[in-house]
Amino acid sequence: MRALSLGGFALVCPILFLTLVAGCGIATAAGQVAAGDAHQQVTLNRWALRHIQQRHWPDSPARGAGKFAPGITEESLREMIYEAVANGHSRQNTHGRPGEIYEYDFGRPIGTTIDGVPANRLRVVINTRGEVVTAFPF
Amino acid sequence: MKMDFRLSEDWDEDFADLANVEETDLRYYVALGDVMLGRGQIDLSANWGWIPLIDFALALLEIADALSAAEGSETFEFTESEATLQFDRAGEEVTITSSYAPGEIRAPLPEFKNQVDDFARRLDKALLDKHPELELNPEYQRLRLFRS
Repeated sequence: MRALSLGGFALVCPILFLTLVAGCGIATAAGQVAAGDAHQQVTLNRWALRHIQQRHWPDSPARGAGKFAPGITEESLREMIYEAVANGHSRQNTHGRPGEIYEYDFGRPIGTTIDGVPANRLRVVINTRGEVVTAFPF
Repeated sequence: MKMDFRLSEDWDEDFADLANVEETDLRYYVALGDVMLGRGQIDLSANWGWIPLIDFALALLEIADALSAAEGSETFEFTESEATLQFDRAGEEVTITSSYAPGEIRAPLPEFKNQVDDFARRLDKALLDKHPELELNPEYQRLRLFRS
């Protein structure tokens, strides 16, 4: 069990998995898997959410990292992650990193690349326990 | 050829118990910093402050091993962006290019391998000097950043 000291209080990650319920009933194009099915496969815990906000939120000062478009919320982030995992292309993570990478093209800008160019795609990194490690537009 | 790192100061406060953090933490959230990579006027550095240095060193060790075994190409993907470093071996020379900065670095294969080994060795020492509890971490030991 992983215990993290975060802002002065201890986090015990399994207790803090955010319930992933936002995507139920999302209309999907023919041939696509309902994003809701991904709820059973992927969890976004508070630690990963904070990591994504620090690196990839619109107001994040982090350089060299893709940014989500203004207006992103925790809920819309979860929905995008579910959709990417349900319908995106998956591949093994690279150079010994554990887990898998999912990439999905939303067909519309969801943020910007590190060059500030509009980004349509989302990359989601999932560890071997099905937990989101990071997610960002590219 | 210059290959170096700069550890950031603002990651370790989030990890009170480095003796027990898991591989994903070590490869994504711990030991963040900058990577300096250049030769002469060519600068492929990634001074973004958030590069997971343990992961970077491990990946480059693997890339150096692969290129030492045979000619070919290897791509390093940064963890938080689409940025990449490309390593191509032709004969006994390695060429390094990036997706985010112009220019290419050329180095003899032995020099490249020595630089990667030295990077990992110095990072291992810097981390253990600052966080000796890492030596108790079985995942850190298993990853074998320092290969004697």
